[in-house]
Amino acid sequence: MVSLLERISNPIFNKPNMNLFVNGTERVVTGVWEEETLLSVLREYFGLIGTRFGCGKGLCGSCTVHVDGEPVRSCITPVNNIAGTSVLTIEGLQQDNEKLHPLQQAWIDERVPQCGYCHSGQIMQAWGLLSKTRNPTEEQINTFMDSILCRCGTYDRIKKAILRAAVMLQQSSDTNA
Amino acid sequence: MPDLSRRSFLKATAWIAGGITIAFSARLIKEKSVSVGPTLEFPNAESGKGWLQVRSDGKVHMLCPRMEMGQNANTGLAQIVAEELNIRVQDITLHYPTTSETAPIGFTAGSLSMMLFSKPVAIAAASMRENLRCRAAKINKISVDEVIDTEGGFVILGSPRIGYQDLVTDESIELDFENSVIPTLYTFDPRRIKKQVGQEAEPRGIKDLVTGAPVFSGDIQLPGMLYGRVIKPPVRKARLKNLNFSTVQNIIGFFDIVRDGDFVGVVCRTPGSLDKAVRSVIIEWELPEPINQEKINQLLDINVALQRGDLPSTLQDENHNPSANWDVDLEFAVQLQTHAMQEPRAAVAHIEKINDIERINIWTGTQDPWAIKRHCADDIGFREDQVEVHPMRMGGGFGGREHYEVEQDAARLALATGLPIKVQWTREDEFRVARNRSPSSHRMRLACDHKGVLSNWWHAYASGYVFYSRSRLPDWLLPFKRSTAGGDFGVSRGAHPAYKSPSIRVEYKEVDLPIDLGVWRSLNGAPNTFVIESTMDELARQKSIDPVRFKLMNIPDSMARLGNCLKRVETMANRNPLPAKSGYGRGFACGVYEKNSFVAVSVDLHIDHEARKICIDRMCCAQDVGMAINPDQLRAQIESNLVWSIGMALMEKVEIGDGQIASNNFHNYMIPRMSDMPSLDIDIIDNPIIHPSGAGEVALIAGSPAIANAIRDATGLRLTRLPIKYTDITALGSL
Repeated sequence: MVSLLERISNPIFNKPNMNLFVNGTERVVTGVWEEETLLSVLREYFGLIGTRFGCGKGLCGSCTVHVDGEPVRSCITPVNNIAGTSVLTIEGLQQDNEKLHPLQQAWIDERVPQCGYCHSGQIMQAWGLLSKTRNPTEEQINTFMDSILCRCGTYDRIKKAILRAAVMLQQSSDTNA
Repeated sequence: MPDLSRRSFLKATAWIAGGITIAFSARLIKEKSVSVGPTLEFPNAESGKGWLQVRSDGKVHMLCPRMEMGQNANTGLAQIVAEELNIRVQDITLHYPTTSETAPIGFTAGSLSMMLFSKPVAIAAASMRENLRCRAAKINKISVDEVIDTEGGFVILGSPRIGYQDLVTDESIELDFENSVIPTLYTFDPRRIKKQVGQEAEPRGIKDLVTGAPVFSGDIQLPGMLYGRVIKPPVRKARLKNLNFSTVQNIIGFFDIVRDGDFVGVVCRTPGSLDKAVRSVIIEWELPEPINQEKINQLLDINVALQRGDLPSTLQDENHNPSANWDVDLEFAVQLQTHAMQEPRAAVAHIEKINDIERINIWTGTQDPWAIKRHCADDIGFREDQVEVHPMRMGGGFGGREHYEVEQDAARLALATGLPIKVQWTREDEFRVARNRSPSSHRMRLACDHKGVLSNWWHAYASGYVFYSRSRLPDWLLPFKRSTAGGDFGVSRGAHPAYKSPSIRVEYKEVDLPIDLGVWRSLNGAPNTFVIESTMDELARQKSIDPVRFKLMNIPDSMARLGNCLKRVETMANRNPLPAKSGYGRGFACGVYEKNSFVAVSVDLHIDHEARKICIDRMCCAQDVGMAINPDQLRAQIESNLVWSIGMALMEKVEIGDGQIASNNFHNYMIPRMSDMPSLDIDIIDNPIIHPSGAGEVALIAGSPAIANAIRDATGLRLTRLPIKYTDITALGSL
């Protein structure tokens, strides 16, 4: 098993035919787009504009998506370093057409967004936490979410929404069990 | 390809078609505005009538007169429409007009939306309701008094309910409002039990924001669109000295380079090739004048200005006695701060030819789309009716998006190439061209009698221009504006004392600083209130009077709402006792923003010597902005302001390097993060009989001085230079 970090740093793992599994669908990246960042490919090539550009240096987290289940900063991830991986974006988070993902619903219930620009990244980072830690403490939330900036200052509501989504996930897994 | 149907919808359906429209009245169009400066067509009693429509299915549609940047003003206005028309806010369809679809509407800034738009919108909706009532009366051949309100329509005794759809034909009808009387406004009727106003309506469009829908200008994609960037000089008005783009042709994806004087633009087929192409261009600039921190400090030195008697503007001057026996005498330095909105600006421009006439479409997130339209027409030599601006949601505004800038980049490159162009500013571009909040230097002196009643007040300060800075107006207009406008009210904002004193002098100097300055949340409201509230707190402590008692004692009766906020926040703070440990402190501050918005904040904090950090543990806020149309969104604005006050007090500072702004991204301009968050306790004082005033930049003014006052409480140190660092505390020897 090759870790994500190795794959990003070692081009030997790249495939000659550049493909990605984006939100469960195989997509091919061709020509000049192979030299782009993941963010630019998602937004401008695939039209998945839900992932936002914030700083271009991996400092603010607005561009956060998942690569093989891990949150990464797509603005500093060259797409040719992650060939063959599975990418999950905000557009693919909702599994059920009828129902928003618990984090998205919690974001609405807590009326989190103000300008709204950072929240694709916030939600994807939060899913990076909740997908592994179903019942996070406030401290864990603080630590995990600290690198995603929100200039409007919606942090208090983000925290509440994550705690609310954790309860929703708990309830749905209880029902399924 | 993102779905642009929301934007193209209006064009496709034509706003006027079908249903009742109270059509926009041509006489409201003022003569052409001067091309510089913002759009100032704020609504009068009739303006709102063009923004509403009841269609033949009975559904209510509203044109949103405000630009969205997170304040959700249009949601609040829709609540008013719903209240007047007895419908639910979620049943109103909102449309965001382009600049071709309505007459100019005043720019979105200064927390004016609820203050200036609530009544015109209420009048429009109430007029619509009364028109519908007349129709119901006419159809049923009864008097209007017999037509009684019910949800979504009317009832008449002994008849079935009449819905709005029963009263509207397919034709568009213009109503004559020449002689119309203003009907009863339910929104402003204190006796009415309201169903929509005062409720926590869900912000419109929130689902788009959590699902990643295309709502921002950078999300626009057009067929054949290319990516452009204009190379920004390190400072405005720098001149191009050397340009070498000999290797740019080798970059795969390069399309074109556009040069016109000092304007150098690069166009490529992908964003990544654009980055590479721009990096390959070697460019040298001749800077207009060297800038550095030292020079700015000298220009702003308040003591030099006082010695020379060089404080030309007097805001207040009553019985001033310069040689009073001053109890406190403090000097303050407030830092240069920037907006750093989460979305770096972006615009898409596309020129099309219809019947041989060129038209340009610009998609952009701006606080002032009509100014963009005017300035673009001037800039590229089009008539105004050849320019259509499609306003998009802004990823934060805070006063930083009022000018024709990224739109200019896109428009010029689209004109030069004949192709649709997207310009996405980098974060570095955003830092380089931002018109920042001016630094300022203050000296404040106070004296009081032995009981703590203020006797003398003297506040002198120097600040860069806010509205009349050299980066906001053309050179030819600057001297005129500066000499005739009666002072830059951005500079004086917040300097009027909220306290009574028999002797008061407030004087200031507007300094022409060689850096780009402009409008930032609260203008100078936050810096001036920081100075006033810090000095008042210091005076109370030196006189061994409780700071809250001291302030209450000196607040005049005319400021009772301010005193009420302060008392309320004290009660809130006292619910949690401060730990009786060394290094813990509590501070209070209060303030008035623009005469009618009142706020008080308390802060509990501690000094964490292990983490070498000032930790804000808890903030309480009580705010009174009159009628609370959407209390949840008022609370959201307060939360945002409190977070900004932490940034202002403890973190943010734009660094000036050699010759240019050095801060260029979030590693060297720190803003608050989740771990900096205190627990929050917020109280909205709803004052339903008072017209709503602004709420977007209020709590910020009291937040930062409350932090400084809490540090004083915790450490005994009065820190007067922002931002306050942990090392400032250790350097001064407090433990």
